Amino acid sequence: MKEIKLKGLDLSVYVETLDNGLDVLYVPFVNKKNYFVSYATRYGSETTTFTPVGAKNNIKVPDGIAHFLEHKMFEQEDGTDPFSYFSTSGTGANASTSFDNTQYIFYGTKNFEDNLRFLLRYVNEPYYTDENVEKEKGIIAEEIKMYEDMPDWQCETKLREAIYKVHPRRVDIGGTVPEIMKITKEDLYTCYNNFYSPNNMFLLMVGNFDRFEASKIVHEMLDKITNKEKPEIKKIVEPKEINIKNQTINLPIKVPKIGMGLKVSAEELSDYDDLILDLYLEMLVAICFGPSSEFRERAHNKKIINNFYTDWESISGYKTLLILSSTNDPDDLINEIKQEFKNISINEDAFTRMKKVWIANEVKMADYVDSVEDNIYDDMIRYNKVIPNKVDLIRNLTLKDLNNIISKIDFDNLAVIKFIGKEKD
Amino acid sequence: MKYTRKDLGAYKLHLINTDKFKTIMVRVSFRSPIKKEEITLRNILSNMFMQSSKKYSSKRALTIKAQDLYAADLQTNNSRLGNYINTDFYLTVLNDKYTEKGNFKDSLDFLEEIIFNPDVEDGSFNEEKLDIVKTSCRSALNSIKENTSNYSLVKMFELFDKTSPSSYRMMGYLEDLDKIDGKNLYQHYLEMIKSSLVDIFVIGDINEEEVTKLIVERFAINTLKKQRVPYLLEEKKTRSKKLTDKEQIEGSQSKLAIACTVNGLSQYERNYPLSLFNIIFGGSSDSKLFKVVREENSLCYTIYSVPNKLDNLILIRAGIDKDSYDKCITLIEKCLTDMCKGNFTDSDINMAKEYFNTALEELEDSESKIINNYYMMELIGTDTIEEKREKMNKVTKEEIIKVAKKVSIDTIFLLEGVKNEGN
Repeated sequence: MKEIKLKGLDLSVYVETLDNGLDVLYVPFVNKKNYFVSYATRYGSETTTFTPVGAKNNIKVPDGIAHFLEHKMFEQEDGTDPFSYFSTSGTGANASTSFDNTQYIFYGTKNFEDNLRFLLRYVNEPYYTDENVEKEKGIIAEEIKMYEDMPDWQCETKLREAIYKVHPRRVDIGGTVPEIMKITKEDLYTCYNNFYSPNNMFLLMVGNFDRFEASKIVHEMLDKITNKEKPEIKKIVEPKEINIKNQTINLPIKVPKIGMGLKVSAEELSDYDDLILDLYLEMLVAICFGPSSEFRERAHNKKIINNFYTDWESISGYKTLLILSSTNDPDDLINEIKQEFKNISINEDAFTRMKKVWIANEVKMADYVDSVEDNIYDDMIRYNKVIPNKVDLIRNLTLKDLNNIISKIDFDNLAVIKFIGKEKD
Repeated sequence: MKYTRKDLGAYKLHLINTDKFKTIMVRVSFRSPIKKEEITLRNILSNMFMQSSKKYSSKRALTIKAQDLYAADLQTNNSRLGNYINTDFYLTVLNDKYTEKGNFKDSLDFLEEIIFNPDVEDGSFNEEKLDIVKTSCRSALNSIKENTSNYSLVKMFELFDKTSPSSYRMMGYLEDLDKIDGKNLYQHYLEMIKSSLVDIFVIGDINEEEVTKLIVERFAINTLKKQRVPYLLEEKKTRSKKLTDKEQIEGSQSKLAIACTVNGLSQYERNYPLSLFNIIFGGSSDSKLFKVVREENSLCYTIYSVPNKLDNLILIRAGIDKDSYDKCITLIEKCLTDMCKGNFTDSDINMAKEYFNTALEELEDSESKIINNYYMMELIGTDTIEEKREKMNKVTKEEIIKVAKKVSIDTIFLLEGVKNEGN
């Protein structure tokens, strides 16, 4: 087991890789009562076209299948309900599916070792039948409908559809009701067998537990699982152009919203390490569009901004900035944002202050088991490694590099959507 | 962890000394009996605190100051506690050990500035800034139907009892928004500062004497208040016949909101058997509602119940297909009848007790939860963590059944999702 000290945070991550390729990360806390455990696969909703191991040809599985599979993981052959199992010790359990990963979690304060055994057992023993697959369709259809009724969710989905031409990130994580109705138990086994293998997964434990005992359990339960070959995932070549540059969409809303997507080709920025590039891009948005930015003050005083949301996401070859906001004047807000993109200039004071804020936030985050879990999890998904010196990396960012990156971005490669309320009936 | 409570006359100062956190959290709570027509005013006021102050003339200046204090986090929040409205200021800041000497003191100065030195001239808040806040509040109120789940609850409460504080909307009301101007807002501010009951909490790795001195110097509140309104709402007689209603909205899913009255509870029942009842009935992913309505009948994705202890209510919420309405209601009623008949097992009870125990243990890992625990002890005389653990573990099945029998479904509202194709 290798120790990786998280500099400045009084925490260490202990890492071991099993012979079958599974990465196991232990982050023990001495002064907390709770723990948080996540067992994850690097497989999410956007992998729907691939050549299964041993097969000759590509197959396309229904959209939403990774999420469907996540639901069905909770089905056990002996009838045990994982929720009930964890409940007996007052432990919370859940699972979630994202575009590029799926995780199974439990969190609580007691019975860590048995709970860990249980997690490792149930995620490694799928049990799908025609009957239990059919039964789940009603539940998932209601879940999809729930999201359909959330205008903010709709806006985000529409925005991705406008940005990407072919990439499956265009499709909602849950899929659509007609697509999930097509799912069969055979489809589920195919996906499970191809993507739930140790070298595509990791196990992360954070908080109050004994790492030596935990490691014993991990070896006892998982050493016997052999690695599988990896399936060939169809490479998707996403063009540089924005799919739909300008559009207006009607939604059942009373106050308009806007969505803007900046598609940045990572090709021109390939000199930078992926993590460093992400830090710079986030810094750019924090300074230009964050709560202390001049843009925000302007928009705020003009009363054209209600709740403003920004987020960078990565797909292979691209970094994409999503901007969503509710506004009383969509045209004016869109114009303000475009102006800001045209006239970006970063002031040294703001840059230094933002670094200070980020470093302070790293230290604050270390007080909470779930925040630490979240951060390490994200790094494992995005960079496939533990980042031991984030505080130093932030400290070493330079304005020169930031300006260099800004100079290489084409700020006109933009998708713009106005969401307008429908006429009253 | 060491807890000290100091009665400083105009307010109580609660100091919680613990080395478990790298941050120090300060919470200042103002509370007074709630009046429906003042909710919007209070909301706007909380927003104005975060807009500007005398010293920091804009929201941006204020944000930059907080960032300079090593990302000090300042938030305000309004909530209803039974018959009271509660306004909190939360300040979270890194301990000086991780920043520089004096940073905590400067952060307290900042908090003091925000609360006691508002952007007021000639007895009026700045009208221009007020208009910004009002515009944003109006947009939020105009968007109320976007969150169908929340909207179904609002409509259900209007049906249940418009006059009861349990139905008050903490978002505020459009009709009250228009009446607000800089002057009456300032009057409301003065009233909040002068006549509220105040509690101040500080938690972290602190020197008690030093912190007491710092607080006393800055929080010169010196009016004495007496308020003798109970926290607990009056009980509402259960209707002899259930009240049901529906409204249509454009959407795919329908939202079900149900209010159950829970009358005749003793203080003990309210704090213990009721909590266990709820966990078994609908408060967990191993509850009767979850298992029966979702897992066995595939009728929904979300379904849960939540007790509003100070309101003598349990709410049931679900997202369903409108065609399953009758079936859902029948199943929910059956789950409740089962609870009354004692159709739940010892292992259900143990599960609920374990959940409760876990929540008690986890509480100690969070500064805000620790503070809240002491706040509830102060307000409604809840037990200490140790007492809670002990009493909960002794609750019997009979006691849970007795509480179950006091739960009656009173009002059922369905916000019916209707797809309007032709877009």
